[in-house]
Amino acid sequence: MQQSMTEFKNMTEQAVPKMSARDIHVRYGDNHAVKGISLDLHLNEITSLIGPSGCGKSTFLRCLNRMNDSVAGCKVTGQILLDNKNIYDQNIDVVQLRARVGMVFQKPNPFPKSIYDNVAYGPRIHGLAHNRTDLDEIVETSLERAGLWQEVKDRMDSPGTALSGGQQQRLCIARAIAVNPEVILMDEPCSALDPIATAKVETLMDELKSEYAIVIVTHSMQQAARISQKTAFFHLGELVEQGDTTQIFTAPRNEKTRDYITGRFG
Amino acid sequence: MSDPHILSAYDEELKELRSVVSRMGGMAIDQLLAAMQALREVNTDEAETVLKNDLLLDKLELHAEKTAIGVFARRAPVADDLREVVSSIKMTTMIERMGDYAKNISRRTLDIAECSPVVMPQTLDNMADVAHRMIEDIMDAYVHRNADVAVDVWERGETLDNMHNAAYRQILARMMEVPDHINAYTHYLMIAKNLERIGDQATSIAEQIYYAITGEILEDIRPVEEEQPATEAGF
Repeated sequence: MQQSMTEFKNMTEQAVPKMSARDIHVRYGDNHAVKGISLDLHLNEITSLIGPSGCGKSTFLRCLNRMNDSVAGCKVTGQILLDNKNIYDQNIDVVQLRARVGMVFQKPNPFPKSIYDNVAYGPRIHGLAHNRTDLDEIVETSLERAGLWQEVKDRMDSPGTALSGGQQQRLCIARAIAVNPEVILMDEPCSALDPIATAKVETLMDELKSEYAIVIVTHSMQQAARISQKTAFFHLGELVEQGDTTQIFTAPRNEKTRDYITGRFG
Repeated sequence: MSDPHILSAYDEELKELRSVVSRMGGMAIDQLLAAMQALREVNTDEAETVLKNDLLLDKLELHAEKTAIGVFARRAPVADDLREVVSSIKMTTMIERMGDYAKNISRRTLDIAECSPVVMPQTLDNMADVAHRMIEDIMDAYVHRNADVAVDVWERGETLDNMHNAAYRQILARMMEVPDHINAYTHYLMIAKNLERIGDQATSIAEQIYYAITGEILEDIRPVEEEQPATEAGF
C-alpha cells in the first residue's frame, strides 16, 4: 500500500511539469532568435536541446533563469512557469530565481577563490547556513553529490582554478547544487572536457536527475542520446520536434530532425 | 533515395552494405532456382553445385556483418540509418537461412536419386514459383525502399502456407496409394516444408524492411491458423 501510494505520488508529480515555457519569443532588435517555443520540463528527467549553431537553443535555455535580462536589446515575450508561477512576473526576485534554477556553463568558470569558497559562496549570500558547521556540511554534501569530494577533501583551500578541466566543471556543478536548486541548466557542459571527464559529468547528471529537472544544450548527438530522457530539436529559432529521446533517435517524425541527427545537414 | 550525408564516406559504407545484402538476395534466388532445377531433373551434379555454392552465401553474410559493425563503430547511426543497419544485419541472417533451405532441397534431391523413381508433385513447383517471386519482390522493396511492396510480400506468406497445407495432403494421399514410394515422398514432404520456410523468411524480411522504412512494426493482423496435424510437427 505504502509503495503504491509512493508510486502514485511519483506519477502525479511526473505528470505536472516543474517548468513550462509557453509561446516564448526572443528578439535582439530585428533578430527574432526564438519563435514561439512551448516546452515542458519535468523533475527526474534530463531534457536535451539539440540543433545547429544559431538555432536558438542556448538563447532559450538562458530564458529559463532570465539570464537574457542582462543582454542589451533583448526582449523576451511569453510565459515561463516555475511551479505554475511566471518567472517573468514583476515581483519575481531574480537572485532567488537563479538559486532555484541554476546554470552550468560551457567553459568551467570557478571563481578565483578556494575550492571551499567556490561552493560556500552561494549558501552564504542566500543565508542557507546559520554557522560554520552548517556551511561545512553544505560544502561537503555538495561536493559529494558532485562526485568531487574524495578528490579535493584534503585541499579545500587550494584555488578552484588549479583543478583539472573536468574537476572544475564538477566544482561548478557543486556550486550550483549548493543552493538547493530545483532545476539545473547546462550549456554544453562537456564541450571542453576529454572523454573520461565527460563520462564523469554524464554519470553525475544521471545521478542528479533523481532530485532535479535538468536541461542540457549539447552539440553531441551521442551525448543527447546517452543521457537524456527527452530531446527537443531546434532549427532557425523554432522547436521542430520534441519527444522521448529513444523515439527521436530511432524514428523521428520530422524530416528536418532526421536530416540533422543523421548528419545530412548541420 | 534520401539526401546524402555530409560525410560522403558514411554514404559509401551504407551503399556497400546495401550492395552486399542485394547480392545475397540475388544469390538466394539463384540457389532456389538451381535447387528446384536439380530436383525436377533429379540431377545430382547440379544438386552438389548448390551445396557447394552455399558457402559463398555464408561468406557474403560475414562480409555484410563486418560492414554493418564498421558502420556502428565509426558512424554511430541513428534514425532511419540505424533502422536500416540493424534490419540489414537481421536480413542477412534470414537470407542465409533461405540459402540453407535451398541447400536442404538439394540434399533431399541426392536422397531422392537413391529411391525408386516417382513423379515430383507439381505443387512443389508452384510453391517454388511463389517463394521465388516473394524473394525477388522483397529484394526489390529493399533496394527501392518501398514499404507497400514489403506489405504485399508479407501478405503473400499466407498463400504459401495454404499451398504447403495442400501439398502436405496431396503427398500424404500418394503415400497411402503407393506405400512402396513412401521414402521418396517423405523427402518431397520435407522439401515442401523447406519451401514454406523460405516464404516465412521472406515475410520476416518484409517486416524488417517495413520497420527500416517506416519506423513502425508491421503487426501480425492475420487470423490465427488452426493447428497443424501432429504428424507434421517434426518437419
